[in-house]
Amino acid sequence: MMDADTAELLAQSLERAFRNTSGKEVEAALEEVGWREALDEEGAAVVPLLFARQGEANATSGALDDVLTSALGLPTGPGTAFVLPEFGAYAPPGSLHDGDLALQGLGSARMAAADRAVVLATRPDGALSAVVVDTGEVEVRPIGGVDPRLGLCAVGGRHVSATGETPVTPAAWDAALAVGRVALAHELIGASRTMLRLAREHALTRVQFGKPIAAFQAVRHRLAECLVAIDSAEAAAGAAIGADSEVSPLLAGMAKAVAGRNARTVARHCQQVLAGVGFTDEHDFHRYFRRVLTLDGLLGDARTLTRALGEELLRERRLPAAPPL
Amino acid sequence: MDLQEFRTGLDAWLDEHEPELAAGFGPEVSFDAEMAHLSKVKRMTFDAGWMRWGWPERVGGLGGSTLMRAYLGEALAARDMIEPGIYSMTEVLAPTMIGFARPELAAEMVPRLLRGDETWCQGFSEPSTGSNLGSLACRARRDGDAWRVSGQKVWTSLAQYAHRCVLLTRTGPPESGSRGITALFVDMDSPGITVRPIRALHGRDEFCEVFFDDVRVPDDRRLGEVDGGWAIAMDLLPYERSTSLWHRSAYLRQRLGHLLASAPEGALDPAELGEVVQMAFAFHARSRATQHRMARGERLGPETSIDKVLLATTEQAVFDLVAGAVPAAVALGGDADGDRWRTGFLYSRAATIYGGSAEIQRDIIARRLLDLGDGR
Repeated sequence: MMDADTAELLAQSLERAFRNTSGKEVEAALEEVGWREALDEEGAAVVPLLFARQGEANATSGALDDVLTSALGLPTGPGTAFVLPEFGAYAPPGSLHDGDLALQGLGSARMAAADRAVVLATRPDGALSAVVVDTGEVEVRPIGGVDPRLGLCAVGGRHVSATGETPVTPAAWDAALAVGRVALAHELIGASRTMLRLAREHALTRVQFGKPIAAFQAVRHRLAECLVAIDSAEAAAGAAIGADSEVSPLLAGMAKAVAGRNARTVARHCQQVLAGVGFTDEHDFHRYFRRVLTLDGLLGDARTLTRALGEELLRERRLPAAPPL
Repeated sequence: MDLQEFRTGLDAWLDEHEPELAAGFGPEVSFDAEMAHLSKVKRMTFDAGWMRWGWPERVGGLGGSTLMRAYLGEALAARDMIEPGIYSMTEVLAPTMIGFARPELAAEMVPRLLRGDETWCQGFSEPSTGSNLGSLACRARRDGDAWRVSGQKVWTSLAQYAHRCVLLTRTGPPESGSRGITALFVDMDSPGITVRPIRALHGRDEFCEVFFDDVRVPDDRRLGEVDGGWAIAMDLLPYERSTSLWHRSAYLRQRLGHLLASAPEGALDPAELGEVVQMAFAFHARSRATQHRMARGERLGPETSIDKVLLATTEQAVFDLVAGAVPAAVALGGDADGDRWRTGFLYSRAATIYGGSAEIQRDIIARRLLDLGDGR
């Protein structure tokens, strides 16, 4: 377990790394910080440190690729990307028939420059495999969408040959999804914190009726609501990682849903407080708003995760245990 | 004793004493009976030692982490042995006495509260003083080695059962605001005190009006400094939003679990259910972190307003889910289950009002946590 001083140092280095503007520079800076080594050594404990700052900075990197690849026990590297499930969903993006891979999913900003990609694929008998493919063999198409700066791309292909294949148990895939969801939850929380910071600064400097709009209760309560939303999402995401750095799949799914839903709440209130200026491309708010709309859709969006949780609870008819004191 | 040991020992003891500790529910269970049961649970847990852990030895406790107190209330609420609203008042009143009463007074009185021998109440709100606590008017006038108190309090929970009252009084000039308030520890059988219970929406006389007509209170019953009562109120309010809320979280989980186990097929919408369970989890996670901060000796402050907003939002969401899933039980149910859903649903409407309204909590968050200025 990392001590507090080491964590603080790592956090500061990560913060500096995310000051770079391009995804490529961020990747190089993360390499220098030794992020992948920290991930190997400390596991999920370092995930909040990185993703909260990535979210705060509106930065983009291949860190999620590293987290998912490493969670499946495969070697990570700057040239290895991970194919994410389709937007909103979390079913494995690949299917495998007699060594013949078909895939349809999403890639991070790393995908375009990567040599290899890891694809989670379902076999006809329902078993799972992590398949490694050459990125030259798959079709990678940039997605503009609502958040072009994220660098998301569509990844697809038929009859792709695998260069390597590792069986993956359903529990291992659940565990990988869990740590990925905790990562995204923290990134959503980081983005939410910056939206609140921007709206707060605006409320304190924008003068109407002879006083800063921060003096008006309607504005104050919206911003207070944002802090409640952020702090509760953070508590949930924190509770999903146990003292032993183990991530609970159930709690991680709940934390991701809370973070996605609450980030939209924060965006709604902050946009209203920022008013006209928050509706322009000239103010930074829009970058964060675009980011949370997109991040919510990765590894299962809030709506999908929430409904799936409810259905599962109705099958079991039992409230799952919450983390003990 | 560490928390793990405490948990294992307490769980076994509760299993063993389940029949005596189980609370009764239903329209025929009076509030008097509920209060008598609460005293019994406190007495049994005190005599067996459980209630004493987490409290300082100088007030009859056995010392150790405050997490043990948090777990005791959680375990009792999760097993349906107590109603946390009336149980958790100890979590607010005892720390006030420990922090501000003369040591001999605290040592004499706190064990009576912990053991359930006595009920105490908290005289803060007044007819003209709701959210604006600093404007209170109930007057205390110096009279030799005593004070003479005249005025009125309202929303005083359990005053009709109370032996003592932690009372905030005006000792400075009327315009002295938060600077002219003094806290007194008042015997409720003092001549000149009249209590009028108020029937609340959920069918319980939980709150009262309390009238003080020239009531004599010795100065050795003063808590803290003369004109220093505001510090006590500020110190105590975060407690109202910490361990008590952890107990309430356990109660909400118990209710949610019961709904999930008992709702008819098709009554619960999976998306609505999932969202409420997620909210309850986030609240639980937040409150758990607060318990750990308190146990580490951190000073609790305005950040506990976040906990209170989450409790209020979650409690109303849980009972809105109940009202949607079993509407006939809530509206018409005459059996114990229906009566309890109805009482719980109605009481949940107060969650955004009591203990600092939803608006006051957001004001605190805006001013103290977001540093948005004083709003003027």
